[in-house]
Amino acid sequence: MNILPFIISGLGIGAVYALSGVGLVVLFRATGVLNFAFGAFGAIGAHCAWQLLEWKMPLAVAIFAAVTVSTAISFLYGRLFAPMLSHRDVVVRAVGTLAPALILIAIMGVIWGELPRRLQFPTDQMFVSLFAVRLTFTRVIAIFLAVAMVVAITLLLNRTRLGLDMRALANDRDLSAVLGVRILYTETAAWTITGIFSGLAGLLLADLVRLQGTFLTLLVIPAIAAAILGQLRSLWETAVAGLLIGIAEAVLTPIAWISPYRAAAPFIIALAAVTILGGAAKSALKDR
Amino acid sequence: MPINLKRLALSLVLTLVSAFGAQAAASCGDNSGKPATGEPIVIGAITGKTGPDDFSNSTKAAKAYFDCLNANGGIRGRPVKYLVEDDQWNPEIAAQLAAKLVNDEKAVLMAGNSSFVECGANADFYKKSGILVVAGVGVPRECFFAENYAPTNAGPRVSMLGAMGYALDKLSAKSVVCIGPNIPNVGTWSCDGIIQLAKEKGLAAETILMDPGTADSTSTILQAAASKPDVIILGLPKGVTVPLLTAAEEQGLNQSIKFLSAASAYDLSVPGTIGAGWDGNFIVNMEFNDLEATTPDNQNWLAVMDQYGQKSDPRDTFAQAGYLAARIAETALMTLDPGNITRETASAAVRQVKNFKSDIFCAPWYFGDGQSRHNANSTTRMAVSEGGKWKVVSDCAPSPDPELKDVRIFEKSAGLN
Amino acid sequence: MVRLPKQLLQVPVMMLIFSIAVACLANSFWLSAATSAVALSLSVAGLAILYGQLGLVSLCQFALVGVGGWVTLRIGHAFHPPFEVSLLAGAIVASVVGLAFGVPALRLRGLYLALVTLMLAGAFQIVISAWGFPDGGRGFLGRADGSGRTMLARPPMADGEVTYFLYVCAFATIGLLIAQWHKLARPGRAWALIRKGETVAVASGVNVLIYKAWAFALSGFLAGLAGGLLAGNVGQLDGRAFGAFESLNLFALAIVGGVFNWYGAVIAGMLLRALPALLTDLGIDGYVMIGIFGVALFQALGTAPSGIAGQISALIGRFGSRISRRRPR
Repeated sequence: MNILPFIISGLGIGAVYALSGVGLVVLFRATGVLNFAFGAFGAIGAHCAWQLLEWKMPLAVAIFAAVTVSTAISFLYGRLFAPMLSHRDVVVRAVGTLAPALILIAIMGVIWGELPRRLQFPTDQMFVSLFAVRLTFTRVIAIFLAVAMVVAITLLLNRTRLGLDMRALANDRDLSAVLGVRILYTETAAWTITGIFSGLAGLLLADLVRLQGTFLTLLVIPAIAAAILGQLRSLWETAVAGLLIGIAEAVLTPIAWISPYRAAAPFIIALAAVTILGGAAKSALKDR
Repeated sequence: MPINLKRLALSLVLTLVSAFGAQAAASCGDNSGKPATGEPIVIGAITGKTGPDDFSNSTKAAKAYFDCLNANGGIRGRPVKYLVEDDQWNPEIAAQLAAKLVNDEKAVLMAGNSSFVECGANADFYKKSGILVVAGVGVPRECFFAENYAPTNAGPRVSMLGAMGYALDKLSAKSVVCIGPNIPNVGTWSCDGIIQLAKEKGLAAETILMDPGTADSTSTILQAAASKPDVIILGLPKGVTVPLLTAAEEQGLNQSIKFLSAASAYDLSVPGTIGAGWDGNFIVNMEFNDLEATTPDNQNWLAVMDQYGQKSDPRDTFAQAGYLAARIAETALMTLDPGNITRETASAAVRQVKNFKSDIFCAPWYFGDGQSRHNANSTTRMAVSEGGKWKVVSDCAPSPDPELKDVRIFEKSAGLN
Repeated sequence: MVRLPKQLLQVPVMMLIFSIAVACLANSFWLSAATSAVALSLSVAGLAILYGQLGLVSLCQFALVGVGGWVTLRIGHAFHPPFEVSLLAGAIVASVVGLAFGVPALRLRGLYLALVTLMLAGAFQIVISAWGFPDGGRGFLGRADGSGRTMLARPPMADGEVTYFLYVCAFATIGLLIAQWHKLARPGRAWALIRKGETVAVASGVNVLIYKAWAFALSGFLAGLAGGLLAGNVGQLDGRAFGAFESLNLFALAIVGGVFNWYGAVIAGMLLRALPALLTDLGIDGYVMIGIFGVALFQALGTAPSGIAGQISALIGRFGSRISRRRPR
């Protein structure tokens, strides 16, 4: 049974999980909110891009519009709505992000419906061939974007004043306020950065997977598996975990009896990791 | 200048005349133009609108036809009150809505149903309530194996086997891979048919069942191509077919393997979406006539939709199915005494429907009184994706599905088709 | 002999009034919606135990509902025992599964626990989509491929719409009573101590492990019961209706309904099934409905931490204190 082609195709889906997982952990580390609407922010941007391309606008305009829309929505939520929940515990703040996810699904459903669409980029035609499997440049870009994001955010969090403020904010909001951290400014900056990232990720995911509002929104659930493997803390581990669970899911394809269940691989791996590593819930996850 | 004005005037007049001509083309009921004013006849329908896909085009088209009917004398003076409900792809809700339509609204007939989940949830309830369903579109096996349920479409299995028949006859395929969704009673059922037929004809065949919710189409397509088949036959909803074809094109498989599909992928948006890479390489089964056919009943369907439907209603195969269901309901109810239209009389009338001819169908439709399952539409044709449109490439041919044996026996004994 | 607190009487009295009102006034459609709503309120009651009493978030409760439904269907089709037996079997298996999920979670807290349970819900989604629910066939999966599909028979005394609704209400009352008793009696006090802090609890002599496990088991039991009653409602269940997102939805609406009062569970059940039915009746587009839910969810989360039930009980409290102030001395 030749599994080499599936390892390469696994890199393809792994790029999807890595991208989404890193996006989730980035916002979590900066604000303490796990954003269930990450996929939805990106999806609506991707739909706008598709619409502009249908109206024969240039690609650059479409991409810019997509990122702008995602960032604007993320900024709006982060500036106006997220602070309303800031006094509640972590889980409620995460569940609160379900609200924009549902609203965005509704908007996309009403405007565009659930018709399958294809978002195409010129990089789809260019590919690199490994073990008789083609890896389109779009997938390679996705992997690079995940890596670039990890590097950029790590530098931001560790080297800049804003990053320090973000880490303080995520750790303890009230104490940070007492210490003089500009709460609203820092939070808004975090949501804006995540918005830009979700816009780019949304475009790539819409190209790599499919352009369908509900589907792209629900991709956040396997992305959480990657985030768990990174212990909601380490961006590098999340990215690598995302790639690995993608590969695991893909290599199960040729095994006939487990193939219908292979989409459960990310979840099973995350569960196994948690059980084996034990309650190695680091201090970053203490009850708030 | 005067010549231009004359030409302008002439073209204006011609446009008006042709528009007027087109306006008058919709034909339903008694064509009298007199609205029906009697006591309404309640006909119900359940459709899956909000969810993984939107099946409601069937009920939209049926509504357009019933509106046309009501504007033209109705059923011998009685208008049709057509109640459509959205079950949101949830069988619990489908059951609630069936209770609403049958018990609360006292519907006498259901027509134009197009739901993925309601056949399984409601077939028993319909039987117990004594109501018949002339459905638009059915998908899972339960829609074709229920006593009170008769869809106008052929079903995924019959459709896939129609495609396989084409592959055998015209493409001389020697090996086939079937990709179906791992939804019980849909994917296994359809691909089992492929395997059965392959065994009969001595072909190599393989089945791959994939999770329609998967984000990873590339691995599935690599698995399918690993055994180097001549053709790959898909039986997936169009929302899953398009990403799968995209993944196949990414890997260059559109050049080396012919891809066929059941009628679920036959939608006007698909050729444009999948692009020029698939010209001549993606062949799809059609349960009904070409959407742009110029034959009379097909043109009537388009006219009805233009005049009585919304402009935004897609004119696709689901719409054809709904239109046909509505026409069949009309044909059956017209045979009744308008003072005595109840669930019992309506059911008896629908049971007697046979030899219902329409050029949208390949062969006349019948309900099949006495059959425990109904699959009247089992003759199909094929179309290929070419230049952003579909091009019909074969004539009507009966589907070689081995499971249709009981249907063919019934047809012969009843002198049908 | 266990002394039953007087406050427990609230539950059967209110449920009786509610069920009679609905049974008399509702038409077919609303009866069906109400039956689902009351059945699901049991699963929310389980969530309320875990979150309201212990502060533990379970995002896989709907998966446990599915487990209960699956077992009820499988046993019902295989052995044709009395309906109550299949129901109980479903509840017990769901309880065991809930416990099994709970064991690794006993060491996890807060968001991590929530996400782990979400992973479980995700895994269950994939498995149940592939397996489907039993419908009269043979083998472990119990799937009948052909025309041998059967619906689960309801209990003979509760075969009609109204009678099954009352039957479900009766079971729901029992379930809610059990949950409420737990809150008012010793387990509730132990849970309150554990919630304060595990060190405090241990110092007070509470066996933290046992009580946490008990909570998980009870929550699973109630979910399984809900699943079995749902299975009896339509006679079958669909594998695609048990996605991970449904569990998220259930938790969100549990918070909106209110996790600190027993009737919050019933309110949440209504929000889950009766409110969509109302919007459908009014002809509101399915997607618009989803959007309305999103807005309502955020509004509830932002302004009413104890949910609708909490606001109702605050209103009753204020009203009651106003009356007692007016009473002459």
